Amino acid sequence: MTWRASIARVAITSALLASLSLTALAADIVIGRSTEPSAIDPQFSRTGNNQMTADNMFETLLSTDANLQMHPHLATEWTNIDPLTWEISLREGVTFHDGSPFTADDVLFSLDRTDKVPNSPAPFSDVVSSVDTVEKIDDYTIRVTTKQPNPALMEQIGRVFMLSKAAAEGAELADFNSGKAAIGTGPYQFVAWKPAESLTLKAYPDYWGEQPDFENVEFRFIANNAARTAALLSGSVDLIDLVAPSDVPRLEQEANIKVYPIESGRLVYLALNMRDDTAPGVVDASGQPINPNPFRDANVRKAVSAMIDRSLLVDRILGGSGVPSAQVVPSALGGYVPDLLPTPADPAEAKRLLAAAGFPDGFGITLYSSNDRFPGDGEIAQAMGQLLARGGLQVNAVQTQPYNVYAAAATKGEYGAFIFSLGASTPNSESNLRSLLQTYDQEAGTGGFNRMRYSNPEFDAMLRSAMEEFDYDTRMEKLQEATRIAMDDQAIVPLFFQKIYWASRDGIDFTPNLAERTIAQDVRLEK
Amino acid sequence: MTAFVIRRLLQAVLVLFVTSIIVFVGVYAIGDPLEILLPPDATMAERAQVTQALGLDQPLPIQYGHFLWNALQGDLGTSFVYNQPSISVILARLPATLELAFCALVLAIIIGLPLGLISGLKAGSATDETIMTGSILGFSLPNFWQGMMLIMIFSVYLGWLPSTGRGQTGTIFGIETSLATWDGIRHLILPALNLSLAKIALVIRLTRTGVQETMPLDFVKFAKARGLSSRRIVFVHVLKNILIPIVTVIGVEFGSLIAFAVVTETIFAWPGVGKLIIDSINILDRPIVVAYILVVVTMFILINLFVDILYSLLDPRIRSKAR
Repeated sequence: MTWRASIARVAITSALLASLSLTALAADIVIGRSTEPSAIDPQFSRTGNNQMTADNMFETLLSTDANLQMHPHLATEWTNIDPLTWEISLREGVTFHDGSPFTADDVLFSLDRTDKVPNSPAPFSDVVSSVDTVEKIDDYTIRVTTKQPNPALMEQIGRVFMLSKAAAEGAELADFNSGKAAIGTGPYQFVAWKPAESLTLKAYPDYWGEQPDFENVEFRFIANNAARTAALLSGSVDLIDLVAPSDVPRLEQEANIKVYPIESGRLVYLALNMRDDTAPGVVDASGQPINPNPFRDANVRKAVSAMIDRSLLVDRILGGSGVPSAQVVPSALGGYVPDLLPTPADPAEAKRLLAAAGFPDGFGITLYSSNDRFPGDGEIAQAMGQLLARGGLQVNAVQTQPYNVYAAAATKGEYGAFIFSLGASTPNSESNLRSLLQTYDQEAGTGGFNRMRYSNPEFDAMLRSAMEEFDYDTRMEKLQEATRIAMDDQAIVPLFFQKIYWASRDGIDFTPNLAERTIAQDVRLEK
Repeated sequence: MTAFVIRRLLQAVLVLFVTSIIVFVGVYAIGDPLEILLPPDATMAERAQVTQALGLDQPLPIQYGHFLWNALQGDLGTSFVYNQPSISVILARLPATLELAFCALVLAIIIGLPLGLISGLKAGSATDETIMTGSILGFSLPNFWQGMMLIMIFSVYLGWLPSTGRGQTGTIFGIETSLATWDGIRHLILPALNLSLAKIALVIRLTRTGVQETMPLDFVKFAKARGLSSRRIVFVHVLKNILIPIVTVIGVEFGSLIAFAVVTETIFAWPGVGKLIIDSINILDRPIVVAYILVVVTMFILINLFVDILYSLLDPRIRSKAR
């Protein structure tokens, strides 16, 4: 054999070996994510992008499934000794990434730290605000007392990320970002974070729960929609999130690409401002502001709702990427009212309601919307303008603005009729009803995002009663009842829930979820 | 020369001061960062906590006063989003952008200058027509679209080059750069080309015009009469004369390559400052926006100063005036 031939043989053999080792390493995955975290400390910010990053490495007392329902996780069971006292059992045999066991001391430390993270732009304070004391009974049992009866306690403290006391005590933000303090109990452990570029993780071999399918995971942060799609098509990433609805038909045609759609919990709604005697942009035929504010009349709000053809918005403007809605949360969440369904547009009914409210000839209105917050927001505002005009209002203008300008002005009450969105991140409608529809009261701290200043004592009473109800089923019924009261009033005009999409190459499976989160544990090798 | 440099630096301080006021007030006027930072179900107690932690409960003049006092001590504020000194967030991303801009500039020169020379020397020929038409494409097609086309052709269809991120970086002279590894260079090619396309076109046109203006001049005729080779005439005498406008433009363009690499960085998910500033404006992270603009202004001042000094090296007439 000549030396040439032997070199060739070596080359072929090593190529074969290389391809073999490639199959062994096939359990690596690259995920193209649209958002990036601002820090690795899981308690630093409870924005979605930070939480879904932390979810890979850290765990909570309760876990949240694809439908936002919560299940025992690091806490295995809990009982109420009395309405103010909870005894919680912790999972045994759980270890941190450094090998140390997870015990009550870590839980006490983590709960205590939750509202003490300095300079947090989106603190978790509220989830521990009802907690009075936390004490350790033994290594795997803790006792929590609350300041007032709080049936939702476990849903709240169940969202606190558990840190290793040994690793995180006294640690600064930089210690987490470098990975030194980023010691959790989750299925993947921290390897490296390059801001704006990537986050690398590796599987934690001693994970107590379902073993991860991938040895190495790289999240690549690709903010641009078209670039994310291109990265998937070119094979440089295996899975992408937040696929632009306009790219979905193209990807569905590709032979080797799978698309995962889900109806998300993000509601797009029209808010009608009732806070003052006049509403900005709501004028009579001569251009004068109408006093009293027409939006304070439930008939007018219902008339506006009856003018809107929700299926048309979803089908024509969004290409089907939405689900018409008549309430605040989607069907998968607790407190959803099954018989409260969106009705088709009914211009005749709208006319009748307007006449009953004393506006047989309608009135002038200006419609406001953001134009960069969610797919199609600007176009939806334009279409809504036409629908309202068809329904008998004089639409004087449709104004759209970038979200950073728009959000502050909407909160200040500078818009009369405006389009907004609200995502769901909790298992039932309570939290969204509280922030969106409860009477605004600065002192009591309620109704923080009630930009319309809707206020109905009957609704408030029912919601409060639900918040104090310890029996789960009764609590959900009360939330349903509260939703019925508010929707009878047309407190807001719900439009639709957004559909969101993930896409991957063949060979892997992803479980889409309502929470709009992209975590490695939801990605699996195709079975 | 020294007096000239000192005067320029004093002007720079004034410019920086005025810029800081304009940007500070400007970002304040856009909106309220809390609206974007806070999750929609945040309670009012949480809102109050954040307002206080970020110092947003103070009136604007006092907020600015704090900023100015700290800035004089070299602290340009702490990012609302990252809770790190804004200047270190920016400096951490600047090398990636500098590397991209530098490579784009080098491409613009090594591709643009020769093509411009050929075009200028053979004005009116088929080669010239082709080059000029090509440069129109470089100018007029939107940068964003060019980027997407590069990705579609070289990454999606041909599969030759990666389309996102910086790839593996290595260290050259203590600087972390993609140029140190083959993987890094592969990642750099498409974004650098995308960023340079318009600049290549610009350099082609500047060079072509320069050559056409200079060739009929007397000194070229004399040089020809002396029997100098046309190679020496073009590359030594003509090139030296047309370089001054090109250096000016390239200097200013280098600044804009860095400051406005936003589109390219967004498409190619390049972890530079361009993307950072856009995100920061959207989320109203005022400390980052203010610090970034001050950095960019400083950079433009320095580049202009550098260009002025370079002039005097290229052109003896300017040198004597500056003295």
